[in-house]
Amino acid sequence: MPFRFLPDVALADIAFDAESDSVDGLFETCALAITDIMVDPKTLRMTTERKLSLRSENLDRLLYDFMTELIVMKDVDSLLFGRFKVRVRPEGPSLEAVAEGEQIARERHHLRNDVKAVTMHLFGVKHEGNTWRTTVVLDI
Amino acid sequence: MPANPAIKQVSDVAWEIPQSYKPGMHVPARLYASKKLLDNMDSGVIEQVTNVACLPGIVRYAYAMADAHWGYGFPIGGVAAFDTEKGIISPGGVGFDVNCGMRLIRTNLRFADVKPKIKELVDLIFNLVPAGVGVKGSQNFPQSQMGDITALGVKWCAEHDLAWEDDPQHVEEGGFIKGADISKVSRQAISRGVSQFGTLGSGNHYLEIQVVDPDRYLDRDLAKEFGIVQDDQVMVMIHCGSRGFGHQVCSDYLRTFESGMKGFGIEVRDRDLACLPFSSKEGQDYYAAMVCAANFAFVNRQIIVNQVRQAFSRVFHREPEALDMHLIYDVCHNVAKVETHTYDGTKAKVLVHRKGATRSFGPGNPDVPAPYRKIGQPVIIGGSMETGSYLLVGTQKAMEATFGSTAHGSGRTMSRTAAKREVRGAELQRKMLDRGIYVKAATMDGLAEEAGMAYKDISEVVETMDRAGISKKVAALRPIGNIKG
Repeated sequence: MPFRFLPDVALADIAFDAESDSVDGLFETCALAITDIMVDPKTLRMTTERKLSLRSENLDRLLYDFMTELIVMKDVDSLLFGRFKVRVRPEGPSLEAVAEGEQIARERHHLRNDVKAVTMHLFGVKHEGNTWRTTVVLDI
Repeated sequence: MPANPAIKQVSDVAWEIPQSYKPGMHVPARLYASKKLLDNMDSGVIEQVTNVACLPGIVRYAYAMADAHWGYGFPIGGVAAFDTEKGIISPGGVGFDVNCGMRLIRTNLRFADVKPKIKELVDLIFNLVPAGVGVKGSQNFPQSQMGDITALGVKWCAEHDLAWEDDPQHVEEGGFIKGADISKVSRQAISRGVSQFGTLGSGNHYLEIQVVDPDRYLDRDLAKEFGIVQDDQVMVMIHCGSRGFGHQVCSDYLRTFESGMKGFGIEVRDRDLACLPFSSKEGQDYYAAMVCAANFAFVNRQIIVNQVRQAFSRVFHREPEALDMHLIYDVCHNVAKVETHTYDGTKAKVLVHRKGATRSFGPGNPDVPAPYRKIGQPVIIGGSMETGSYLLVGTQKAMEATFGSTAHGSGRTMSRTAAKREVRGAELQRKMLDRGIYVKAATMDGLAEEAGMAYKDISEVVETMDRAGISKKVAALRPIGNIKG
């Protein structure tokens, strides 16, 4: 699995490391990690699609905003997503993303923790050799 | 944590880290902890509290209370006061869950009345108070009313038949903090909040049916002031905050503050300590938005209380008034407030950040609501769902020593991931039932993460604060029913 939970980093909350061989993959991995914290992804159906376009002042911010957008859609539209296609462009930087998932169905979904915010603690996108990495601490 | 030679003992429950501990500290750090709590405190607390001591305009000390544990930027259980003209305001010093807090409601029921109906009662409350991932609230208001709701808090509820007449005066700040401005709150925050009124949330948030526990502690004279007159009287405790609304306010302003610090020449040791002068436009904007979120949280807890009163009424076939279901008090434990304090021989206004810390104003303080002014502000300290909680009162010593502040809860010692490795939710639920605590949880994973072993000993925390003299014990409370978000 390209993300790994960090049991000793956030006592009251949840932290994970993510990595990928592409920046697009890193964003997709972080999105999947957030989903995994909130629901067993195996119980999700891909019946709804949402498109996202974001622009930020740097790559850190773009990833922060992207993850925050997923949390907002969970609260406002009751949507959880299990599949992501992200294209990050260096101009801006910006991204175009497609998220597939469905509305929360309590009787069918194995729900877990409610993610409420992305923190700045230990946060930052790193590009080392052929690998893109980040650490994310989420407020639960 | 191994003994740190930099930490000097001040009393049996107070410790100090001098300004020389790290470059840039403007004030020393002060920790309240028994030796046992200090030895088990995670090392992140020391780093974080001394980072807070480096923030511009901090006065006197950066504090960590007995329940302190690792947080973002500030430790949880952290207190810091800043000069209102030269000092900063920090969203990370308030926390993501603005005005996360505790409510305590009394009943005139006794344990024997509730014991046979505890399952029915907990199941009904679980249905009436939405909890868990992405739930929608029990009460919907049009978005156009959000300005009034977040400006007036429980006062707005009272004007709309959503609160009893005496509820507002039993809430910190009379149920609303002045200075709200909804125009400083983002569209995203309003959208997240508008559908979440009356929701419990998840994580460490809970709603608990409790019984006064004289075997652990009960000051009967003091307890009478709160309407606690029976040794096995049944109470209800609620722990939750401002839901997505407050979290979004914090996220939005962390972003603004991080970008803005350079312009003010401010450097911090941790991105979550992002801060700006309180007197700056951005500082004032955040304060106005934070106050909206704080008032949102008061309303959220009020609507939950209404549901709890309904549930008791339906189960016990009596009106809530006949069950004496009055609010004892509602405290904020994640907030920044402008308060007047006397320190270093001077009386001055300061901006007190309490992040996982409770106001503990002493007797006679004009900011304590009238019903409690002669005894001090009620302090509600919630423990883990297995170990019980406490009601305390504020003291004059707290005014002198900690800007009128004390602890807020047990404080975690084990991460959520580690707790889940130690115990399964279903097993914990069964064991708690064997011990007389009926638990209903939104998820079994969430239940396991909140096991008692993941927390410090609540009694040790409370004893420490009592011995330090910065809050005084009134009553211990033990759980008999729990709803876990």
